[in-house]
Order: sequence, then structure tokens, then C-alpha cells
Amino acid sequence: MHDPGVPTALAITDLAKRYPTGTEALRGVSLDIEAGEFFGLLGPNGAGKSTLIHCCTGLAQPTAGSIRIFGHDAVGHYEEARTAVGLAPQDVNLDWFLTAEETLDYHGGYFGMPKPERRERTKELLDAFSLTEKRGERTRTLSGGMKRRLILARALMHRPRLLILDEPTAGVDVELRLELWRYVQRINEEGTTILLTTHYLEEAERLCDRIAFINDGQIVARGTSRELASEFAVESLEDAYLELVGRMELSRAKPEEIAP
Amino acid sequence: MTASQIRFFSLVRRECNRFFKIKRQTVGAPLLETFLYISVFGAALGTRIDTLQGVDYVVFIIPGLILMAWAINAFTNNASSILQQKFQRAIDDQLSSPASPLQLLLAFSLGGFLRGMIVAALTFVAASLLVGLPVENIHVLLPALFLVGFFFAQLGVLVGVRAEQFDDVAFAQTFVLQPLIFLGGVFYSASLLPEPFQTLTRFDPVYYMIGLVRYGFLGISDGGSVAVSLAVLTAATLALFMLNHRLFVRGYKLRV
Repeated sequence: MHDPGVPTALAITDLAKRYPTGTEALRGVSLDIEAGEFFGLLGPNGAGKSTLIHCCTGLAQPTAGSIRIFGHDAVGHYEEARTAVGLAPQDVNLDWFLTAEETLDYHGGYFGMPKPERRERTKELLDAFSLTEKRGERTRTLSGGMKRRLILARALMHRPRLLILDEPTAGVDVELRLELWRYVQRINEEGTTILLTTHYLEEAERLCDRIAFINDGQIVARGTSRELASEFAVESLEDAYLELVGRMELSRAKPEEIAP
Repeated sequence: MTASQIRFFSLVRRECNRFFKIKRQTVGAPLLETFLYISVFGAALGTRIDTLQGVDYVVFIIPGLILMAWAINAFTNNASSILQQKFQRAIDDQLSSPASPLQLLLAFSLGGFLRGMIVAALTFVAASLLVGLPVENIHVLLPALFLVGFFFAQLGVLVGVRAEQFDDVAFAQTFVLQPLIFLGGVFYSASLLPEPFQTLTRFDPVYYMIGLVRYGFLGISDGGSVAVSLAVLTAATLALFMLNHRLFVRGYKLRV
């Protein structure tokens, strides 16, 4: 429940985004995520998940609506809003010219962290993500798993109050997935609000306090995993998702269920 | 330092770090190229050309070479850096930070500006040691060189932001920038050209830039009024800067 003394971590109202091509990626999305929540956003490819995240982080410019992050307007007064957000994007977007250590140090600099604090935080994160031995290596030489860990470390570098994870475990092996789950759960327990987009329903069920389904640029349902199943009179989150989205792009879809 | 200053300094540091990491390509190669121009055009051809406007041919071409070094490096660095970061989407790290459009634009601009300045300064030092280059009007030379560097830094940012593939940058450099610079009179005096080329040269903005820099070093120029050239160059640089700032505010081809 919303604590009146604490601003809502992410308050999105009537958000719309139309790309220059004419595609309407978001059509009046409204969403509130409370401080300290672990919130899941599920939807098929092209549903608008990444566009919503890009609008929240300044990578896309909304056509209409408002986004407030801990009370700060993310479009008009973006400085405070963006300082509060850490983004781990879906694609590996590390700078090839930088080492792992520099990646974190520059990121901290972009967020105004003084040098001693950057140095200390960099060391702490490199240790936490088992990257200390690779700190002097350029990012392009790191393995896929290391790159994924570095992206998460980079998102956490400036100690964001809202961490946005855009399909963080897509394409990673089971061991790393479990490791990332443990880490983000710990961060959440320490007070960081998390918005997670994922295709893995098991991941959402296990990690998220509340979940919203997005489809065709609109939020079509929201609630806890149990509430969503109950609302649609089905057994599980997966069934609820299938009911709503009606597609077979799920990690746990059985091969025989997929039409040839 | 304030958070904003740390942010800006980090953005600039990242741009400089990039070109220092590949310094053989970004600093060494242009320096060698300039040295080769001095050798071929100065030492070899220069022996057959006595003087131009009263100065040795090799000395006559060096101001233009210094300008060319600064201009091309400022342009190439910024266009390549922005395109490469857009291509990898690494630029999202800066774009999603609290940095303002002005901070981002200035930081990207300064990367190329400083790289050009380093190459130009090394060229000046080498040329001074080799041929003894005079500096006749430093009060014109410094603003002229700084404006030229900043103008081409802005042009590099503009091309980098607009570019969608590396071919776009190569096209601008090969088919626009280099012809303008070479035909602007780096290696000759426009007064030696027959008509209509002499008149055509006067439509090349680089001609006036070379005139300013040559006046700063040698005290001679065939590029028209120094004051008018400086004023026009200042206005053009400001106009380009304002255009780029507008693009950064809009997020043109940077934010979707």
C-alpha cells in the first residue's frame, strides 16, 4: 500500500508514444509502482515494454502523458528523475573502448559522483559481480555472462532508488540467471525499487510483488500473480498471460502447443 | 566540484580517453601525414618554387597544413565517436544520465577540438624546428585557429548525429571536407589561379579560414579583410553550434 510520506517510485499517467513511422507503441499507459516494490512488466515482443522503459529513462520522448519518478517529472525536470534511475538495458551496449573499471567509473562520473566515491563503489561492484580480475580488460573481450554482469553493475553504480531491468536474463545460462536473481532480490530487500521486464513467467512469479501485462501498447491487467490467476479464473500466471495475450511466445510453452 | 561539473568533466574525459587509446591512429597518423605533405610539397616541389608572396614555399604552406590538421581531426573524431557510440548504443549511457543537451554537445565537441589542437600543436612544433615558422599576428592567429577548430568540431558532431552508417561519415570527409580544404589554398595562393577558378575559390569558406591563419603566422593573406573573415567565421561557428544544440535538445537521431 502507498505510504503517504514516501513518493511513488514511478507514476506513469496516460503515457503515449507514437514513433515518426506512425507506429503507436504506447497508447495511454498508466501505472504506479510504490517505493520498495519489485514490479514485473510482462508482454510479448513489440508490446511496448522497452518503449515504456525508454520513455522513463530519457531514451525516448513521450508523445503525451506524464512520468514522475519519486515525485520528479522525468521529462521536464529530468536531472533529479534520471539520478534516481538505474537502467540495465536488454541489449549489451557497453563501450568497446573502455575497460570494465572505466565503464563503471565514467558512469559514476556522468551521475556526478566524486572520484573517491567512484573508486570505492567501483571496487565494491567489481567484487560483488566477480569482475575484479577483469577490471583492466576492455569490455569487448569479456564473455557474454561477464558483460551482462557488468551492465547490471553499471546500472547500480550511482546507487539508484529505482532499478529498471529490461529482460536482464534473456539469453543467459541457468547458473548466471540464478545468480542475477539472488543479487536483484538482495538489492530489493535493501530498499531499491525494481521494475523488471521479462519473457520468463517463472522469473516474474518468483521475484515480483506485483505484475502488469502489457499488450499492444496498453496495460491490460495488473495485480499479484495470484490475483491475476484468480481474476481470469485460471490456475496460474502463465494461463492468465495466455488468456490475455493469446500468444505462444513463452519460455515455458510446450513444443506440442506451438502451431507448426 | 559540483555534480554538474563532475558530469561534464567525465563526459569530456571519455571523449579524450577514446582518442588517446588509439593514439597511433588518431594522433600519430595525422602527424605523419602532415610531415609527408611538408616533405613532398615543401622539400621536393618547393625547390622548384622560389617564393610565394615573399616567403619560402615550404613556409607558405605550413599555416594551411596546421589548419588542415586541426580541422580534419576535429571533424573526423567527433563524427566517428558519435556514430560509433550510436551504432553500439553505448551512447545510451550518456543520454540516460542527468547530463543536459548542452553538456553533451560541448563534451562531444571538445573531444575532436582537443584532438585537433594536439595534432596542430605538434605539427607547429615540428614545423618550427624544421623551417623556423614565424608568428606575426598572434592576436589573429589564436582566435582564428580556435574558431576553425570549433567550427569543424561542430561540423563533425552534425555529421555524426545525422549519420546512420560509416559510409555517411566517409562521404562527408572525402567528398565535401577534403575538396573544400585542398581547393581553399592550402598548397598555393589563390591569386595564382586562372579564372574562373580564382573567383570560384572565393566561394569556398575554407579559403578565408586559411587566409586568417596565414595572416596570423606570416602576416600575409589573400583572403580578404581579416576583421570581416573573423566576424563571418564567428557567426558561422555560432550558427552551427546553435543548430547542433537544437538537435541535441530534440534528441534528433539520438533519442527515439
